Amino acid sequence: MKFGLFYELSVPRPWTRESERTVYDNALEQVKLADELGFDQVWAVEHHFLEEYSHCPAPELFLTACAMTTRRIRVGFGIVVCVPEFNHPIKIAERTAVLDILSGGRVEVGTGRSATWTELAGFNASPDITKKSWDEFVRCLPRMWTSDKFEFEGEFWSMPRRTILPKVYQRPHPPMWVAVTSPGTELDAADRGLGSLGLTFGQFAEQEKRIAEYRRRIQLCEPVGEFVNDQVSTVNFLYCHEDDAAGLKTGRQMANHFNYLAAQLMSVRETYPSKSYPSLGLLPQLRRQATGPEASEQAGEGLCLGGPERITRALKRWEACGVDRVNFLINTAETIPQADVLASLRLFAREVMPAFNGTKS
Amino acid sequence: MPLFGDLDVETIASNLPEMRDLDTEAWELPKAEILQLAVEVADGSRVLLPRALHPAIPEYVTFVVTRYSESPVGPFDLAQVRLMARAGVHPRGYVLGAVASTADAASALRERWGYPAVPGEIALRRYHDRVAASVRREGRAILELALVDPELVAGSDLQYIHGVTLARVEGAVQLIQVDPHYTLHTAARGRARVSHFDAAAWNGAAIRLTTPISASVSTSDTDLPRIRFVMDPETPVVRGTRKVR
Repeated sequence: MKFGLFYELSVPRPWTRESERTVYDNALEQVKLADELGFDQVWAVEHHFLEEYSHCPAPELFLTACAMTTRRIRVGFGIVVCVPEFNHPIKIAERTAVLDILSGGRVEVGTGRSATWTELAGFNASPDITKKSWDEFVRCLPRMWTSDKFEFEGEFWSMPRRTILPKVYQRPHPPMWVAVTSPGTELDAADRGLGSLGLTFGQFAEQEKRIAEYRRRIQLCEPVGEFVNDQVSTVNFLYCHEDDAAGLKTGRQMANHFNYLAAQLMSVRETYPSKSYPSLGLLPQLRRQATGPEASEQAGEGLCLGGPERITRALKRWEACGVDRVNFLINTAETIPQADVLASLRLFAREVMPAFNGTKS
Repeated sequence: MPLFGDLDVETIASNLPEMRDLDTEAWELPKAEILQLAVEVADGSRVLLPRALHPAIPEYVTFVVTRYSESPVGPFDLAQVRLMARAGVHPRGYVLGAVASTADAASALRERWGYPAVPGEIALRRYHDRVAASVRREGRAILELALVDPELVAGSDLQYIHGVTLARVEGAVQLIQVDPHYTLHTAARGRARVSHFDAAAWNGAAIRLTTPISASVSTSDTDLPRIRFVMDPETPVVRGTRKVR
């Protein structure tokens, strides 16, 4: 099992001239430490207009900064929104390639389509066709990275024969993933030979079932790229503390804060009836979990909050479910002081990582 | 923390509905026809929203025009304008104004669920290319809207967000959660078009419509249920919510 960090880059109000800079600076310091401690990857999302929840519209820029201050941690570009009003596919291919060169071949690419009316309407994009445009994009990207010359005529974009430059540093190309929030999207990933980049905090039994079906289905895939990425990644909170109760309490505050901010978002389904968004995805679960100050201080099932032993047990369960990677949200809206976040990472690396293969303390 | 509403409840307290109590009996409302439009609004609506609630991002309103073909007070139509919000982590529609097509319905809605309902004339008509509604009060139009180019969708594609009203009850001003159930029989969606909206007539003078989002129409068995939760309008709902039953 491999471990990574996952950034939304949330910025609490009141917004001052320095508040966004502080969040970015703290994140960069965390990534630098994570690289030294043996974390395997850092992911940064693409979000727009999501007040407080995510101030991260240009993940490739943040990840370039990460790559320049680290030596081995991989950089996850995503979720990059594969909707033409947000990103032209040529630009995605080019930016990925530049980041891959600058990072010395450490890029992973996560693809998705956005799930909020706030963002889609902000770009004047129709929610009805995002899945189709995403499908077109993910089939083109590997060919744009690997072909000497590329031309394309599709439903959502077209281009005459050109040489797309530069080429990615990795051969044949970076691993590709799909953001999975709604049930069933993991099967879209499997059918295309793409990794399942889970963004929900789902419970063991449900996740185990979905992972098993993903594993079965990907055996039959028609890969869109040059190789099959059959890994399953999930997201989790992390706050590790020597005192289990203190870790739970602080970690729970962070998780509740994240869930509270996420619940403020305006999902497509809240207001725009569309077959393209059959479920609310992440949000209903977060609304259930965000129970406010009266909530018990027990960690939710599988959450990595508390002492090292508790966290190790949770991760062993995730490993048994078939999860290959866990990406951690380690702070939200600066709820936890930076020094404590760094201490949590160090403790996790020292006490938890050695219990898992493929990582080092 | 997200932004909160900025309404000084005292400024409108004297005009709020007076509820009998919180022991409201449920109404079963079969075969209802529900037209709903969602439209983004310009910044500035927070002055209309109680401090217990968070504004939606972006701010938006819903217009809900419902034909209840059966009810304990007979058939009636109800038009609502709701400023959409969050009560903690839950999406809610704060009812700014409401018009009912009969005096009995308006009175019952005020007394039982705290709707700021007043009597008026409501028309809800289906055409081949649109579903249109209009509302008049005291001889003048205060709302004209339509769902344009309807296309059938699955009932599961629609989501109806629970409402909250602001009323006097038990000697205090409280937010009342109204959370109907829906069993949808047919559903369609289309484009939202609002051709006339007198915001002040709906207690929402600060509302300025900007971007249409969507429109839907359904036939549904629904209800107006017993009251389950009330909230202090001045306190964030995670601290200010009281379970009634």
